[in-house]
Amino acid sequence: MLPSGVLCKSTTAALTAGLDRIPDQLGYLVISEDGVLASAGELENDEHTAGVMMEMVRTASRFRLQGSADPPFKRMSVILEDFVYTVTVSGQKVFVVKRQNNQQEPISI
Amino acid sequence: MGCCYSSESENTEQDPERKRLIPNPNPVSKPPNGTDWITTSVPSARTDEQALLTSILHKTAQNIIDVSAADSVMMEQHEYMDKARQYSTKLAMSNSLSQKKALTLPSLTSQPHQVLASDLVPYSDVQQVSKIAAYAYSAISQIKVDAKEELVVQFAIP
Repeated sequence: MLPSGVLCKSTTAALTAGLDRIPDQLGYLVISEDGVLASAGELENDEHTAGVMMEMVRTASRFRLQGSADPPFKRMSVILEDFVYTVTVSGQKVFVVKRQNNQQEPISI
Repeated sequence: MGCCYSSESENTEQDPERKRLIPNPNPVSKPPNGTDWITTSVPSARTDEQALLTSILHKTAQNIIDVSAADSVMMEQHEYMDKARQYSTKLAMSNSLSQKKALTLPSLTSQPHQVLASDLVPYSDVQQVSKIAAYAYSAISQIKVDAKEELVVQFAIP
């Protein structure tokens, strides 16, 4: 039987495998109900961003289109001038990836 | 108590949860002030109208609880306690259910990596959404109350 530390590490590796190969990624977070499971890059140990993203995705997932039982989206994008947070939920875990925003045009309101 | 919520059709009366705590004390026998309702004989042509009026009267009476007449049908103390316990158990159950539902995260996808790696939202889409949001904000900020006349008026009481 494997020591628990090794087991934990391999589970985390399975969660984050591929996240660092996402184009233009600057960092990522994997969050569960209990807190941050994995983090890297600019989001390493960023508990504050984790909390904000968790709250935002919770709020967004409460919206329902008429006659639909499931949330009407797969991914939430928080778009800022220089970068974008892309967020999704799978298997009770929230995945957040910070990606560079290469679209040059400024967003004017 | 459940008796205030009495706009359902008759069959809900059979449901023990919706049954009135205080039985209807005045099933349209007499109006509260003692005078008889208009029961003078009417031509048969107006029977429909009369029936309609009676049904309206019935419905209205269903929604009125005559507290002064309720004394005669007092519930036993233990019955009240039983009802109270029953309702609070039901409440606690539905509260904990909805709370649990609010806490659990929905599964948005089974392939999070692909979803996160796919192309970002096109700039034109973001611009369109921003524009619509700005229009909506502007529209909402222009809603205002236009006072035309007094909402509350004094009746001339002699």
